[in-house]
Amino acid sequence: MDDDVLRITGLRRCFGRVVANDDISLGVRSGEVLGLLGHNGAGKTTLVSQVVGLLKPDAGHLRVAGVDAVRDPAAARRHVALQPQSQTPIDGLTPRAAIEISGRLRGLSSRDARAAATALAEELDLGPWLDRRALPEGGGLSGGIRRLTGFAMAVAAPTPLLILDEPTNDIDASRRRLLWDAVRRRGDLGSGVLLVTHNVSEAERIVDELVVLDRGRVVAQGSPARLRGTQDSDLRLELQLPPRGEDPSDLDPALPVRRRVRTGRRTLLIVDAASADVAVAWAASQHAQDRIDGFSLAPATLEDAYLALTARPDTADSDDTADPADHKGPADEQLVRTAPIREESDHA
Amino acid sequence: MPETPAAASAAEELTAPPIAPVQVSPWSSLLAMMRWSLASIGAMLPLIVVVQAALAAGIVIGFGFLIPDITPESALFLSSGAPTILLLTVGLVIVPQGVARARASGALDYQRALPVSRPLLLLVDLVVWSLIALPGLVIGLLVAWLRYDLSFSFDWPLLVLVPMLVTTMATAVGFAIAVTLPAMLAQLVSQVLVFFVLLFSPITFPASQLPEWFQTVHRFLPIQPAAELLRAGIASADFTAQGRDLVVLSLWTAVGLLISTRALVRRG
Repeated sequence: MDDDVLRITGLRRCFGRVVANDDISLGVRSGEVLGLLGHNGAGKTTLVSQVVGLLKPDAGHLRVAGVDAVRDPAAARRHVALQPQSQTPIDGLTPRAAIEISGRLRGLSSRDARAAATALAEELDLGPWLDRRALPEGGGLSGGIRRLTGFAMAVAAPTPLLILDEPTNDIDASRRRLLWDAVRRRGDLGSGVLLVTHNVSEAERIVDELVVLDRGRVVAQGSPARLRGTQDSDLRLELQLPPRGEDPSDLDPALPVRRRVRTGRRTLLIVDAASADVAVAWAASQHAQDRIDGFSLAPATLEDAYLALTARPDTADSDDTADPADHKGPADEQLVRTAPIREESDHA
Repeated sequence: MPETPAAASAAEELTAPPIAPVQVSPWSSLLAMMRWSLASIGAMLPLIVVVQAALAAGIVIGFGFLIPDITPESALFLSSGAPTILLLTVGLVIVPQGVARARASGALDYQRALPVSRPLLLLVDLVVWSLIALPGLVIGLLVAWLRYDLSFSFDWPLLVLVPMLVTTMATAVGFAIAVTLPAMLAQLVSQVLVFFVLLFSPITFPASQLPEWFQTVHRFLPIQPAAELLRAGIASADFTAQGRDLVVLSLWTAVGLLISTRALVRRG
């Protein structure tokens, strides 16, 4: 049985000559949290806007819980709850009233909507602000509490497909943790979750699958472990280069590097844990010779792989072969170009 | 062997039925959206009602100063026109400014992405702004009665139906302006409309005082028909409306509703 709550096939959307979404295909199953990663302008919000019927695709298919969302967007919307990237318009409302209204609009009885507001306040630690009114021009409630309220409104009632567009913006660290747990819980309770975020390192903990968009195209998709493309024991050696300095790791064949990405004055090197002592000794000697300003060693993360995937292809060195992600279809060509294991890019 | 709570929970999740789509009656959606809309006007709500009432009274009293030794006939003409100005101002000025703001802030798109029928968003504005405008209508008539010692002859069916139709027309056209034009332009047009309604429309003065070509223009605009219909409802002994007025007003209402609904439903 097809248990996809969202199935996107060959989606294309242009704005004039700019291709915002180019042949995008992806799926979200019930109970799955799919992370959608990408830089600003990668086409994430355009994609979301098509799912909820704010934009019409130029080509491709969109099915939400089996409903053709291109032909019948109103029916599709009844299966979706969205927390948009912009702030939720709650001026004049308390978080409690906002959550209750959202619950009522999503089919809860008055009593269940009231209970949902109380339960969500507990879950997200919103209690002290629950009855404080949001005032115009950002008064009354902070941006973080407004964002949490927007999240609570989206999850006020169970929904087949939950779309969260940058849900953690403005939120403090402790409540961000509560929010991530709440997102994971919605997945565990049966919702399919499409999570759009820049926060790669935090999202990694809770997503089942990841899709990376770059300039409107899918450049990689797969589980976090596959996308990371490294062993759990791999380490990241970060070099801080001097202004206008050469990257000393560039030409040193003795250095056992699995992947290299340069971003501005930083170079990220992924090295095997077994080679850590060699790499650190090398970095220390480079530092002693003033070829680098400093260095640090830490566990390799998904963020490193993400940076490699979205590095600029026009400056990428594609002479290497291995590929960290489970890539599919038409995105392959770009993925190979942008995510070789020894990759170098000079984007600032 | 008894099941542990964790195992029971896991089993429950595995067998959890699929989540059903939203099923809400239009009435429940309307009430929830109205609660939201009224709350977003918030603390300004009583103030807006008071200002509307003051505006109604102000038109009746203020315009009277323009006419020295005002006759009972002129006073009746002026007073029976004031409610039209009020209803048109709310629909053509306040509504488009609010909608333009909602468009610019993303609030309109947020509501368009909700699992509610999109034309309902227009209906909510219609109901909310009618509720806000109607007290002003009553107060305007009350002030006219006190100030000029007028006696009105109400045509109740007209008096109930016409304000609703005028508010619907003005709100729908105002909404259409706000969703069709860029936000800044919509705000500018609504400002211009205030002057047009107040000073260049035969509401508080007879159409015969306008140049002939301008009278012709007004025969096709909804303002004069709205004024004449409402006047006939307020002072039926002195004024009558024509069927043509109803046709013109209804056509403008239909066009406003059509453009607004299309803009709400349409995908970019």
